[in-house]
Amino acid sequence: MNTAEATQHYFTKAARIMNVGERIENLLSAPLREVKVQLAIELDNGEVRTFTGFRVQHDNSRGPMKGGLRYHPEVNGEEVLGLASLMTWKTAVVNVPFGGAKGGVQVDPTQMSLKELERLTRKFVDQLHDVIGPTRDIPAPDVNTNPQVMAWIMDQYSKYHGHSPAVVTGKPLELYGSRGREAATGRGLLTVCREVLRDVGRPMKGTRFAVQGFGNVGSHAARLLFADGGVIVAVSDVSGGVQNPQGLDLPALFEHVRKTGGVKGFGGGTPCGQEELLTVDCDVLVPAALGGVIDAKVAQSVRAKIVVEGANSPCLPQADEVFEKKGVLVVPDILANAGGVTVSYFEWVQNLQHVSWDEERVNAELEKVMKESYERIGSISRSRQLPLRTAAYVLAIGRVGKATVLRGI
Amino acid sequence: MATSAPMLKKLSALPMCQGLSAAQTAELVEIAEETTAKKGATLFAEESAGDALYVVLEGQVEVSKRGASLAKLGEGSVLGEMSLLGGEMRSATVTALSECKLLRISTERFQKRLAADNLAALKVTHNLAQVMSRRLAVINDKLVESLGKTKKKEELADFGRILNNWSF
Repeated sequence: MNTAEATQHYFTKAARIMNVGERIENLLSAPLREVKVQLAIELDNGEVRTFTGFRVQHDNSRGPMKGGLRYHPEVNGEEVLGLASLMTWKTAVVNVPFGGAKGGVQVDPTQMSLKELERLTRKFVDQLHDVIGPTRDIPAPDVNTNPQVMAWIMDQYSKYHGHSPAVVTGKPLELYGSRGREAATGRGLLTVCREVLRDVGRPMKGTRFAVQGFGNVGSHAARLLFADGGVIVAVSDVSGGVQNPQGLDLPALFEHVRKTGGVKGFGGGTPCGQEELLTVDCDVLVPAALGGVIDAKVAQSVRAKIVVEGANSPCLPQADEVFEKKGVLVVPDILANAGGVTVSYFEWVQNLQHVSWDEERVNAELEKVMKESYERIGSISRSRQLPLRTAAYVLAIGRVGKATVLRGI
Repeated sequence: MATSAPMLKKLSALPMCQGLSAAQTAELVEIAEETTAKKGATLFAEESAGDALYVVLEGQVEVSKRGASLAKLGEGSVLGEMSLLGGEMRSATVTALSECKLLRISTERFQKRLAADNLAALKVTHNLAQVMSRRLAVINDKLVESLGKTKKKEELADFGRILNNWSF
């Protein structure tokens, strides 16, 4: 089962529990629009290359559609559709007034120059500018895209439609970006960890975390958990991993990553592999790298009692079942990593109002949203005796469903 | 019973307490009592007289009818709300599946408040009437269906009713 099928599986599971009926299930799960574009650009050496891009707009009943844009050689339409629907449920869980979308371009950005990436990005906007926009569909950074790519999108879109900073979020701070946006997903995850630990009656101080992925989500999550008294016993990234049962010296690790570009070779612990990290002795496991890394077999060997999904769909449904049997608490992606889209919403709001919030305000509003969402999901989970993930989908289907019914079809 | 902040919060989140001010919810807590049930204990049996409403505060219960399990419910669930309106027989049996902590509001005490024109009790009655009217609409549809008359499909409206019953 791939990550798109996993999302559909979780959606269907919740929809069946709510007994919404097959035709309403179809109405809610089918995307509004799927666009496939061919992007022809000239490479620096004069070669002409054509890349395939996708934008899937899943649902707009709760507002303009929102979702990342990724550059990856293995992007495909089905995966993008799954991620677009995940965004619909995620924006509903945190109750920001957005629908869901996702985009991707089949390209290996490590093989491209900056100029080539710029031409590719601008071409993508040329092909899509009439279906995106501040009140239609608002892209954001995702795998292998960053604030610079967002700046190009804003600039190219503005050429067609006039000054439009709100067409895209995750922009550089100097160009209508929001303070606190970069660390937002990690910070949201911190709030969720605090709430979960409080619920299970465990103090943050001394709780042992293993974090897979040391990028935009994992590095900020690890840093903030460490600053809050958590003990980080293992981290890994694409280069490799490092573990230390006594806890890693995070400031030294950041210095090492800054110098060498990766976690690998850090002297403050012993090396550990990507998969090994998932099964190290710890209290909370934070898979914050890629989707689908935890299947039933890995789940059997996971020693953590709590899994907080920093990445999208790191746990496959079979793994979820194993965790349920083992009594491992899984905090689902659509809650755990929703801090990013929440602050993206704040960025959009600031852009529309031509104001700039200070970081304290962004962080405080984010904490409020994450706490409220966790509380709502917790109360559905307790009253209906459902796992957190199913409760989160029930809440999301409820919110999207109500908007759909009120609007009419 | 003494009003506690968490208790107030739990009660005010219930659909039957919709529209009640904090002070009015506190009045409801005043006539409520906290009770416990051991694992396996029967809270009330089918066709017995309904003398109280229960709110599950902690633990899990099972609702069954003629021996068949209908649902498992947990924290925040309300059981036997119609008995507050008086004269109702229990339509199902409720058994504790684990050690349970419950809030009990007796019909007698509630009816006394109602007789004294207490606004909180009136608002709860109004909310319960809305729940009943929704349920009646469903039963009416089923009745029409059972009479062999096919009803025009209203799938979107039906979906809306499902969402109302889940009370988000």
